[in-house]
Amino acid sequence: MKIIKVAAAAAMTFALATATAITPAMADDKPVVGLVMKSLANEFFKNMLEGANAHEAKRGDYVLKAVGMQSEADIETQINAVENFITQGVDAIVIAPADSRALVPPLKRAMEAGIVVINFDVALDEKAKEENGVDLAFVGPDNRGGAKLAGDALAQKLGKGGKVIIIEGNPGADNAHQRKMGFEDSIKEGGLVLVESRTAHWETEEANTVATNILTANPDIQGIMAANDSMAIGVVKALESAGRSKDILVVGFDNIPAVSPMLSDGRLLATVDQFGQEMAANAIDIALDVLAGSPKPQGWVRTPVTLVTGEK
Amino acid sequence: MDIVQTRETSHRQADKMDTQRDISPDILCVRELHKNFGGVKALKGVSLALRAGEVHALVGENGAGKSTLIKILTGVFQPTAGDILLDGQAYKPAGPRDAKFKGIQVVHQEFNLLPHLSVSENISFEQMPRTRLGLLDRKEMDRRARVALDAIGLLDVDVRAPVYTLGIAHRQLIEIARALQSDSRILILDEPTATLTDRETERLFKIVAGIRAQGVTVVFVSHHLSEVFANCDRVTVLRSGETIVTEDISVTSPDQLVAHMVGRRLAREMAQEKTTTEPGAVALSLQNFRVEKSPYEEGVSFNLRYGEILGIAGLVGAGRTELLRGIFGIDPVISGQMLREGVPASFASPREAIKSGIGFVTEDRKDEGLILDMAIAANVSLAALEKVSKNGLLNRLAELSLADRLGSMLKLKSGGLSDRASSLSGGNQQKVVIAKWLARDPSVLLLDEPTRGVDVGAKAEIYAIMRNLAQKGVAMLVVSSELPELITLCDRILVLSDHRVQGEIPREAFSEEAILRLAYQRKDQGTKK
Amino acid sequence: MNVEATGLAQTPFTGRKKFSFKSVLREAGIGLALVALVIIFSVTTEHFLTANNITNILTQVTINLVLAVGMTFVILIGGIDLSVGSLLALCAVVAGKAISLDVGVPMAISLAVLAAVLAGTLCGVLNGAISAFWALPSFIITLGMLNVARGAALHISDARTIYSFPSEFNAFGSMTFYGIPVVFLVALMLALLAWFVLTRTVFGRLLYGLGNSEEAVRLAGHSVFWCKVAAFTICGFTAGIAAIIYMARLNISSPIAGVGFELNAIAAVIIGGTSLSGGRGSVLGTLLGAFIIGVLANGLILLGLSDFMRQMITGVVIIVAVILDHYRAKYTRS
Repeated sequence: MKIIKVAAAAAMTFALATATAITPAMADDKPVVGLVMKSLANEFFKNMLEGANAHEAKRGDYVLKAVGMQSEADIETQINAVENFITQGVDAIVIAPADSRALVPPLKRAMEAGIVVINFDVALDEKAKEENGVDLAFVGPDNRGGAKLAGDALAQKLGKGGKVIIIEGNPGADNAHQRKMGFEDSIKEGGLVLVESRTAHWETEEANTVATNILTANPDIQGIMAANDSMAIGVVKALESAGRSKDILVVGFDNIPAVSPMLSDGRLLATVDQFGQEMAANAIDIALDVLAGSPKPQGWVRTPVTLVTGEK
Repeated sequence: MDIVQTRETSHRQADKMDTQRDISPDILCVRELHKNFGGVKALKGVSLALRAGEVHALVGENGAGKSTLIKILTGVFQPTAGDILLDGQAYKPAGPRDAKFKGIQVVHQEFNLLPHLSVSENISFEQMPRTRLGLLDRKEMDRRARVALDAIGLLDVDVRAPVYTLGIAHRQLIEIARALQSDSRILILDEPTATLTDRETERLFKIVAGIRAQGVTVVFVSHHLSEVFANCDRVTVLRSGETIVTEDISVTSPDQLVAHMVGRRLAREMAQEKTTTEPGAVALSLQNFRVEKSPYEEGVSFNLRYGEILGIAGLVGAGRTELLRGIFGIDPVISGQMLREGVPASFASPREAIKSGIGFVTEDRKDEGLILDMAIAANVSLAALEKVSKNGLLNRLAELSLADRLGSMLKLKSGGLSDRASSLSGGNQQKVVIAKWLARDPSVLLLDEPTRGVDVGAKAEIYAIMRNLAQKGVAMLVVSSELPELITLCDRILVLSDHRVQGEIPREAFSEEAILRLAYQRKDQGTKK
Repeated sequence: MNVEATGLAQTPFTGRKKFSFKSVLREAGIGLALVALVIIFSVTTEHFLTANNITNILTQVTINLVLAVGMTFVILIGGIDLSVGSLLALCAVVAGKAISLDVGVPMAISLAVLAAVLAGTLCGVLNGAISAFWALPSFIITLGMLNVARGAALHISDARTIYSFPSEFNAFGSMTFYGIPVVFLVALMLALLAWFVLTRTVFGRLLYGLGNSEEAVRLAGHSVFWCKVAAFTICGFTAGIAAIIYMARLNISSPIAGVGFELNAIAAVIIGGTSLSGGRGSVLGTLLGAFIIGVLANGLILLGLSDFMRQMITGVVIIVAVILDHYRAKYTRS
């Protein structure tokens, strides 16, 4: 859908242009932080943005400019946003990159322009950074470690030899890959048996269908690991329809509000909270610290990841 | 007089020609060409000889076989029988491209230009020049176009202009330039003047004379005898798929040509008796009625009475179909008045015309008259669905019986009323179209070419249906290019030209000559030799 | 496009039936393909032909079937509706808002159903009226609507999944009747109604006519505009129904639901033998088309093929089905 992309990019450019026009030349000396997010159609980033807005109001010592995109794969909009921020001369750019490679060159330009850049949520590709001569720390959660927390919770309940399946996220997405590896780590360590691993493209309805069908072919499975909560919801519904809620355990990831009733009545064993709401705010804090003179962060600054279960 | 060779001699000559080349002065020799489309015999023995560097006219009524002949010459159709010699060698073009390659080009009546491309792109379209890198060579393309346009004296056209910005006349001339750009030996102009003004026509003929001077043979297809006599060397008359005669222009006359075109058929067709009924009240009255394309203020005026069949004759482009479409509310009417039973009426859509009791048997059966993919019964009921439905629910039995009743009334021959309309022959398809309107019991029926593509037997049946309807008091307005048809059917005939009534002919004075004279009148004035 | 090269060559009013191999093939072509698939999966997998799995397939086919029935109307008149997937999300979000109102369970559910159906119908009216009034290609108008509806769904829901619906509503989503999911019965009734409208009413007759020759219908004195609007309206209406089924089945309404659903619906219609250029086709074909897609998705997972293989095979089957149908249509033409 090229047209949509272009239109979105155009709209975004326009929005930024007006924003610049309205902000009176950044007269006060508050630092300006440009926040580049992924798809705001995704609840996770929507929450993140709200967290950042609240953070801005709370601290009150900086100006936040946020840009989101229309879909997960809309790399062009992000690149345009970074370039526009460079033109506007913001003090810091805090970015959750949509593509771990494509964003490296524009970010390098930003750094060369003297802008503090903080990479959060998804790590930029090490090799791409090396090739471009960019030294940039990553502030973000450990998706693999988080998934392992959920996987371990399931392994503990099932015990050795428990049969499980994985419902994956989008093939090709970095976080989907990390979470799958985390689940696989738990399976290996806990001595579980992986029966099948399939994608449901992060989608509730598709997860419902896929889980139902896998269950038909493999009625003896005991646990299901879903790479996000939207899919976990679809899985839980599939188990309900099949009358298997009691004997099959489900874990998810993200801790979205919609799963809280499922956690409390046990339909969902556990999920993982990576504190998305605070993630952007934390990254902004680091950026402001660097602006204030602190040393630049190095390597991977891990943000907290916690297992959430129904047991209080 | 140079009448076409008899069959025997032409065959013997052909045998010789296969072995010995370049004996005949003829560049192209067509012998005993036959072409069948299914059961329809479009060509039943056409012979034609073209000399190098002559302008040869091809005339004949609609359906005489001119288009089919041209399509065979340009490789669109393959003949069923007969052969063609080009320079004494057998000429069997594999397709239009091959025909062009062999030097035979045609400029069609309907344009083949791409309107949004420039003149030079259009002219080079068949063989785009390329640079060494394989890219489009625009300079070369423009240069070629300039040369091609200059060659026919079109100095005032910008080769970079998109074609749609040019007038029709210029487009026609660009087609000719394109055709001439590759080495043409024979250039066929298919009714090139149908859409041109007098001045543009003059210019075209100047160009034709120039082409001829270069040794190119020009075949000129036209309805306008005045143009034929002013510009051609010889003329071949086709009638009903046969060559009637080839004559030198200097020894013939327009009247003689018309007689050749019409033939003896006239007498036979006239033999069918027409029982004249006393016409009733005025059903439809037009006063200075003009549609968008109508150039003259006076427009068209006439009265159509119940029980009367009024014919509309005229050449292609005279405004016959447009008149019917205007009456039926399809095309907007720009001035003038229409009275329906004495009350002023203007129909904003076919729906309103239908409500006032008018039906329209269109010329184009396939797109406008029928829904070919639907059942015969569904086609019959299409304009009268309220008669076979209740609260929007179809009553299939009622629909079938309606179709059955009308079908047997019209002697419809079909495999079954649930079969698709496309399964029917042309004549039976036309009966379905008529049945569709009869299902509404219309009091006025407009018919555009009611028997086009219909075989002789079905034609007679359709005539009988129409006469029968007239007796029942239906008023009919019939447009037809087939003069015998109008002569057979009508009580009166109006002859149109340029969206104006050229004259009215009462039944006593019917003759093809009289109609053609009126149809050609305006153009013939002052040009007759 | 070659109108003849289309399948389930059902024209309205195919009255008298002469029994012949050809006529069987003509009516049942795609059905045979479906039977073949069923046989293949029954032999190769253990669980395919079990009561439970059949229930599952029926559930999984439901949403696509509902959307495809609406799509049939639009494609029959030579149009296309790319917006149904987004419309489903919009309807679901609107209904989700309605069902969360504190007005008592029965009232909330009725309001939700009404809201979903109204939203879908209204967008359908817009799709139809805009493309018919200005004679614009429905492809581009509905592509625009795709974005409008998706944006509206995200805006209204603030990009958040709406959840926790009354248990009565949820029960409807998983209820079965002798093993047949109730939601599927709803879809089946919708298909039956559509079949009736298309074959037994004046309106249906005009839709077939429109797809074949708009001019012929207009010259026969019918209002082409309203027929077109109605076809798109029906398509929008089915998006509303599909949204309700989606919500009842999954107990959430997500603003990002239904991405790509329009393509599945179009595929079902075309596999079912409806001509993409309009004028020919049937709801029965659409039903079978939806089943082919559903059975394939289910069977390939049961076979244990990898996701990527599954995707490829699905694509190949769609292409092959249409090619076979081309030859079948040719062969059965008298």
